[in-house]
Amino acid sequence: MDQQAQTAQRSTSSIPARAGIGLKAQHYKDILEHQPDIGWLEVHSENYMADGGPALRWLEAMRERFPISLHGVGMSLGSAGPLDPHHLNRLIDLKSRIEPGAVSEHLSWSIANGAYLNDLIALPYTEESLFVFSDHVLEMQDALKRSVLIENPSSYLRYEHSVIPEPEFLLEVVKRTECNVLLDVNNVYVSAQNHGFDAHDYIDQIPADKVLEYHMAGHSETVIGGRSIRVDDHGAPVCDAVWDLYDYTIGKLGVKPTLIEWDSNIPDLDVLVSEAHKADAILARHLIKEDAHAFVG
Amino acid sequence: MLSLAELQSKFSDVSLGADGEVLSGVIIGDGFAPEQRLQIHRNNTTILLTEALGATFHIVKELVGEEFFTQVARSFVRTQPPTSPCLFEYGQGFPSFLQSLPALSAMAYIADVAELEWQWNSALNAAEAQPLVAEDLAVLPAEELAEHSLRPHPSTRFVTSTYPIQQIWDMHQDGADPDQGVDLDDGGDALLIVRPHADVAIHSLPPNAFVFASRLADGATIGEAFGALDGIETPENLSVYFAELIAAGMFEKIQ
Repeated sequence: MDQQAQTAQRSTSSIPARAGIGLKAQHYKDILEHQPDIGWLEVHSENYMADGGPALRWLEAMRERFPISLHGVGMSLGSAGPLDPHHLNRLIDLKSRIEPGAVSEHLSWSIANGAYLNDLIALPYTEESLFVFSDHVLEMQDALKRSVLIENPSSYLRYEHSVIPEPEFLLEVVKRTECNVLLDVNNVYVSAQNHGFDAHDYIDQIPADKVLEYHMAGHSETVIGGRSIRVDDHGAPVCDAVWDLYDYTIGKLGVKPTLIEWDSNIPDLDVLVSEAHKADAILARHLIKEDAHAFVG
Repeated sequence: MLSLAELQSKFSDVSLGADGEVLSGVIIGDGFAPEQRLQIHRNNTTILLTEALGATFHIVKELVGEEFFTQVARSFVRTQPPTSPCLFEYGQGFPSFLQSLPALSAMAYIADVAELEWQWNSALNAAEAQPLVAEDLAVLPAEELAEHSLRPHPSTRFVTSTYPIQQIWDMHQDGADPDQGVDLDDGGDALLIVRPHADVAIHSLPPNAFVFASRLADGATIGEAFGALDGIETPENLSVYFAELIAAGMFEKIQ
């Protein structure tokens, strides 16, 4: 088959405003065999940065059928040190191979003293962090020649010297770098519960036109010394309170592509697909409302 | 106030096992001891990286048992954390780390199995390339063959052990007979590991075939690689070895 025909056959790259799921190795076969009704797939970019091998082969097969979003967990944009040029190059290569509909990263850091901690750690929200983080977003966008989405984190601690509220920090990054926001609704909920702020108030501060994607996931609750703390382990169904917050968020910020993430205790594909359909149903309900408004207005 | 670099350096130490005390006055407690909040991050790093090692070294994990593996992996994670966020390439130093452990000195084969798992993993993620086939070599005049070297396929790896590690490997694959045992005195293995297409294959090589293959992989010409062998091999044996290596897909290109 010639190159042109292959390109013509490939699924469009743009991420539709419906639900997608996080692609896990356990589900590769099932997805290709059963072609479930899901709008798109998201992967952790780092899992597909090998020179070759089965993971990339699967991803390329998926790409023929679905739009793909590349979601990074390892760029460590919040690290005080420089970005890893090798890692950046690997992401550029992956982007050229996959032609993703979106590229995203986290408002957090993961690397210090040359060690990758495999954790998304919240930043102190200071002028210094704002400068470092924005600079790194600009560097990443320049390297990729495209705008990226930055995801709000789940956090378990705050720093004494943090002076900027998180939504304000995030929006200042957006202003300085022209990046967009990946709003993780579960993360807003988890952080709100852990730090005692109002999740709705957080959502209200985010401008609708800057949000290009939502994330939804399950989390767990750990009791330490008689007090509970929520941990964003992506290992359970989305809880009712987060579905409610999602409903509220769409009402405020609009219908957008929504990802169901599930990264530990991974269930059968059917379970993820049914979570995605639940999100689709909520999106569809809001879409009808938006259309009605447009018609009346 | 701590600079961001200082904060992250100390935080990293804490995530890798240091006492949370080094961040006292920096983390807001808000109903918890700061150490309790930091423990969540320490767990994230330790548990998830231990899981990543357990995925790459799953046979070692089965051999030593989950509890011991977790303990050893944790201490490896804390002394040799990953330097790259691509965790499929984390663990290169794990086989020699296992070898250095006094607790495993009576089970020296464990480190060799770890090395096999590491090389298998490395072959799995190597670059794709079309392997050379016998017909590609047939076009060369026979008298010129000795002058050429063969670029190895990017996935070519070698492992040797004085223990029967391939049998141990086979025993831990899906569908293996659970009652089948391995006699550790069964002799050693010289293995070629290669992934010419979708799947990684492990080939056990006779001693001279192994020397021949590894010389070629190091860039020797075919003539030089033949010359390196013990004089006991007949030309017939050598052409059988050569044909087997080609069939295994260990070469990419004539040079």
